[in-house]
Amino acid sequence: MRWSLSFFLFGFLAAVHALSSSGNRLLVVLEDASEKDSFSMFWSDLEARGYNLDFQSPKSDQLSLFELGDRAYDHLLVLPPRSKGLGPALSPKNIIDFMDKDGNVLLALSGKSTTPSAISSLLLELDFHLSSDRSSIAVDHFNYDTISATEKHDVLLLQRPGQLRKDTKSFFGGEGVLAFPRTEPHTLGNESPLMAPILRAPATAYSYNPKEGSFSVEDVGVTGTQMALVSAMQARNSARFTLLGSVDSLRDEWFSATVQAPGGKKTETANREFAQQLTAWTFKETGVLKVGTIEHHLAPTAEAPDVELNPAIYRIKNETVFSIEVSEYAHDRFIPFEVPSDDALQLEFTMLSPFHRLDLQPTSRTENSTIYSTQFTTPDQHGIFSFRVNYKRPFLTNLEEKHEVTVRHFAHDEYPRSWKISGGWVWIAGLWSVIGGFLAFVIMWLYSAPAPAASKTKKSQ
Amino acid sequence: MAESPADVLLKGSSGRTSRGLLRIIILATIAAAAVSSRLFSVIRFESIIHEFDPWFNFRATKYLIENGFYSFWDWFDDRTWHPLGRVTGGTLYPGLMVTSGVIYHILRFLTIPVDIRNICVLLAPAFSGLTAFAMYLLTCEMTASPSAGLLAAAFMGITPGYISRSVAGSYDNEAIAIFLLVFTFFLWIKAVKNGSIMWGALTALFYGYMVSAWGGYVFITNLIPLHVFVLLCMGRYSPRLYISYTTWYALGTLASMQIPFVGFLPIRNSDHMSALGVFGLLQLVAFAEFVRGFIPGKQFQRLLTASIVIVAGVAVVGLTALSMSGVIAPWSGRFYSLWDTGYAKIHIPIIASVSEHQPTAWPAFFFDLNFLIWLFPAGVYMCFRDLKDEHVFVIIYSVLASYFAGVMVRLMLTLTPIVCVAAAIALSSIIDTYVFASEGPSPQSTASDENSSSEGLRSTRGPNVGISSYLSKIIMTSSVVVYLLMFVAHCTWVTSNAYSSPSVVLASRLPDGSQFIIDDYREAYYWLRQNTPQNAKIMSWWDYGYQIGGMADRPTLVDNNTWNNTHIATVGKAMSSREEVSYPILRQHDVDYVLVVFGGLLGYSGDDINKFLWMVRIAEGIWPDEVKERDFFTARGEYRVDDQATPAMRDSLMYKMSYHNFQNLFQHGQAMDRVRNSRLPADTPQLSTLDEAFTSENWIIRIYKVKDLDNLGRDHISATAFDRGHKKKRATKKKGPRVLRTE
Repeated sequence: MRWSLSFFLFGFLAAVHALSSSGNRLLVVLEDASEKDSFSMFWSDLEARGYNLDFQSPKSDQLSLFELGDRAYDHLLVLPPRSKGLGPALSPKNIIDFMDKDGNVLLALSGKSTTPSAISSLLLELDFHLSSDRSSIAVDHFNYDTISATEKHDVLLLQRPGQLRKDTKSFFGGEGVLAFPRTEPHTLGNESPLMAPILRAPATAYSYNPKEGSFSVEDVGVTGTQMALVSAMQARNSARFTLLGSVDSLRDEWFSATVQAPGGKKTETANREFAQQLTAWTFKETGVLKVGTIEHHLAPTAEAPDVELNPAIYRIKNETVFSIEVSEYAHDRFIPFEVPSDDALQLEFTMLSPFHRLDLQPTSRTENSTIYSTQFTTPDQHGIFSFRVNYKRPFLTNLEEKHEVTVRHFAHDEYPRSWKISGGWVWIAGLWSVIGGFLAFVIMWLYSAPAPAASKTKKSQ
Repeated sequence: MAESPADVLLKGSSGRTSRGLLRIIILATIAAAAVSSRLFSVIRFESIIHEFDPWFNFRATKYLIENGFYSFWDWFDDRTWHPLGRVTGGTLYPGLMVTSGVIYHILRFLTIPVDIRNICVLLAPAFSGLTAFAMYLLTCEMTASPSAGLLAAAFMGITPGYISRSVAGSYDNEAIAIFLLVFTFFLWIKAVKNGSIMWGALTALFYGYMVSAWGGYVFITNLIPLHVFVLLCMGRYSPRLYISYTTWYALGTLASMQIPFVGFLPIRNSDHMSALGVFGLLQLVAFAEFVRGFIPGKQFQRLLTASIVIVAGVAVVGLTALSMSGVIAPWSGRFYSLWDTGYAKIHIPIIASVSEHQPTAWPAFFFDLNFLIWLFPAGVYMCFRDLKDEHVFVIIYSVLASYFAGVMVRLMLTLTPIVCVAAAIALSSIIDTYVFASEGPSPQSTASDENSSSEGLRSTRGPNVGISSYLSKIIMTSSVVVYLLMFVAHCTWVTSNAYSSPSVVLASRLPDGSQFIIDDYREAYYWLRQNTPQNAKIMSWWDYGYQIGGMADRPTLVDNNTWNNTHIATVGKAMSSREEVSYPILRQHDVDYVLVVFGGLLGYSGDDINKFLWMVRIAEGIWPDEVKERDFFTARGEYRVDDQATPAMRDSLMYKMSYHNFQNLFQHGQAMDRVRNSRLPADTPQLSTLDEAFTSENWIIRIYKVKDLDNLGRDHISATAFDRGHKKKRATKKKGPRVLRTE
């Protein structure tokens, strides 16, 4: 069954253009092959978007993320295993190496079973924290599905997330209600700027261990909105890692289930759209920025309209123009990148510390890119500077551009000549009057010697 | 024999022209000897630039040849002092490079294509020949004896004190500066003697050349005014003095101000104030002389006293006011360190850290000058015998230079010329007395007259025992010859053993006596050149900056120019701090590779661990709270690298880089550092922010690559711990209130 499907998919999808900006080889790690059918809508959605799915059991001998030292897959999707771990091929180190080589990972957890310690230590390395027993679920007595979880209150009903902050783009928004059954919640480390929550638990939710029947009181911080149900992390090389707390939310039954919040109306879940958004973002169909050409040059003046492009050396106090072309990948093509309204793309002109930090303004737009530029005067300090554009925002791939240029001092013939400085006229006048006076004196001396007096002195000597 | 040419010269039996010809031949021979004795290193190793500073001069010369004079003049060097850069064209003495460039272009014009490297390597020996000639001229001005000049030229040609800075490959400013120094002094003496504007102007011209070539020009700037001042004090004012000094000062100051690095220093810096002061004083004295001709003696006395008081008062007040207001720059630190040998160690460790700025050990005088050092006082004494203007100059020069040579090793160089002059005067006087006396009519003939005429006193009847006897002549001349031969042997030995090592290439002897070349420096620099990007920034201690720039052609953070103490201290701090402190510094300065010199395997004592305390001291000067020298000494005050080393020492980046993986060369626990002669701890230091990139054959140079930030945003210690297989422990409960995450 699987083989025939794979072949079919291969033959069919080879012709289809992949949607992801970084490849279409997707490895799905699924321990129990029989479970595969319960996600059929999810798989078919992925296949329809051009992914080449390869289902492997974590116990399989052939499973390897790498081939000849290079990535064998572009993306990795891990469903929670029943057994104690994910096996040697998917050790935390291998998964981190996979990310170091620009591979994207979507890891789903389940509140039904205890999360293996291997996954927990991988998450710890990325600064995601699970509860210490690794088998808690999120419970909320105010936002639960009254139809399926009347007793346990463990199917959370949530609005789809909007903007995380004012300066970020929203990739997961939309109408509808999300159902998150049996979610293992997690918290995010405080220090890492690389991670961002996609979907946070409601303020009334808390973490509960159904086996022990107790609250996870050991850490009172793991309640309410501090708990995340879905989170994202982007490594510095922009490899994406998404942690999904509830694998059940991807199942067919929840893709179009009818749910009802306490005191609410019956509605259809929007899980299917959300799963699409989530996979689209994780597998780099959205939120991918690309830098096109970067140009810097002297501002053209009336005397010198033609300027050299990207010179290696400037002089202090030069008028300089910098421009950068940025495009954003949206599902199947590059579109012009628009900076969110509360945000700015900034240019730094740096030597050890920034001498200028300027907002780049969009000056022109092509079919699939925006050109941002700014003009400034190089500082009155020579040295090796760099133009830096450092734009790192949650859910957008990192832009980090650094172009080194030298800023030199004035050459000896670039200062204004002495007579052009009006303050110097006094000295110039003094100079020439001394020279003139000396010459006049010499001439006078030479032609005014009295002849008879000279002979007289000779005699006296 | 030494006598025969001298005889020919002195007897007067030969004509004037043939004596002149002979003199030229002798001078040419001396020049040839001077050049050839400097070629040991080229013959033994190869035609290579030596040491550290010459590598910069060589690089600058190549830049001059490639880009022309004007772009050299305006050169902004973006490959040193990253990221500050260096206004190189305005902060160097261009004389050396321009000289080589001119020679290069002349040779090209004559269609003799010579590689610029060979010109640079052989420039110093070529100029040493000229120095010998200039020394001949200078000494001839001092004494009537014709042999003194030749002797001085010969001494100057081969004395190790001068050879130490002018062997082939030692392409440093001193290579041409000593010639200019001697020649300027010759011209000055000539100017004072003749009172001629022409000689004064020539002095100024060569003084200008000297200023463009070496920072030691300040020596001339102060010595000539001092000479004039002493002459004035001796009541030897003359129009000759007035003409020569004013000509020299006016033209020379203008000439020196044309060098961008000097600029307005001659009128603003305290080091140059004596020249200006003497210039003013000379005007006053001249005016007083002029007035004396018109006013009767008594009134003149009164007038003189009054005007001296007024002028001195105005001068003192004015100088103080200008110094206080900062118009005149205060004395530089290097100047203070000349008077107080402990000054640099306290206030400017960067100056004290240079070995050639250390006070001289007394054997060095004999080592560098051999028998000249004990002829030197005799020569100075002889100058006192007929104290003409030029002899006063010799005396002042010798007093000053002796003091300076005692303070700083490198100033032995300025002492050498005057030692040669004085020694030549003394020795020629001995030779003249003994050799010339036999020809003269006086003692022997009178003695024989007495013998024949009268059987007078008994004492006078015996055989001649005075200086005119053959016995005494033979004893004296042969002992002088023996001394001269020993001098030649000593000079050759010193030159060949002590001063002919390029220090880029080291040589040692294997047990069987064959030579073993240690070429680690070049191996490492070529590795950098071929394996790193053109723009990779290399951090190393400043000693190696010029070599990395010259041989590896990579940008460096600091180099031997040492113009920015803070930047050097930053490197020192990075080297002497823990990795967590150093890494942000490395990142901020865009460092790609770190280079350290380690001699522990071979017993090469000039390595970075031995220089380490200077790094610590210099860093402590800027960050006294973060780097403390005390932390690198054990409780008993020892500087140790073994398992009793202090924690600060063992955690420092320098220690870790030096000994990283070193223990793996030995059996467990047997690792020995052969420089410090100590057994190292059994475990090799762990580096988490750096990766070993290259280690040279004998481990002298070790190069580390700076890791990028961790991809997952972890710190490097936990990242490397994870890579080694340690699992992260669940974050332990932090004390204090839990911080909530906000977006």
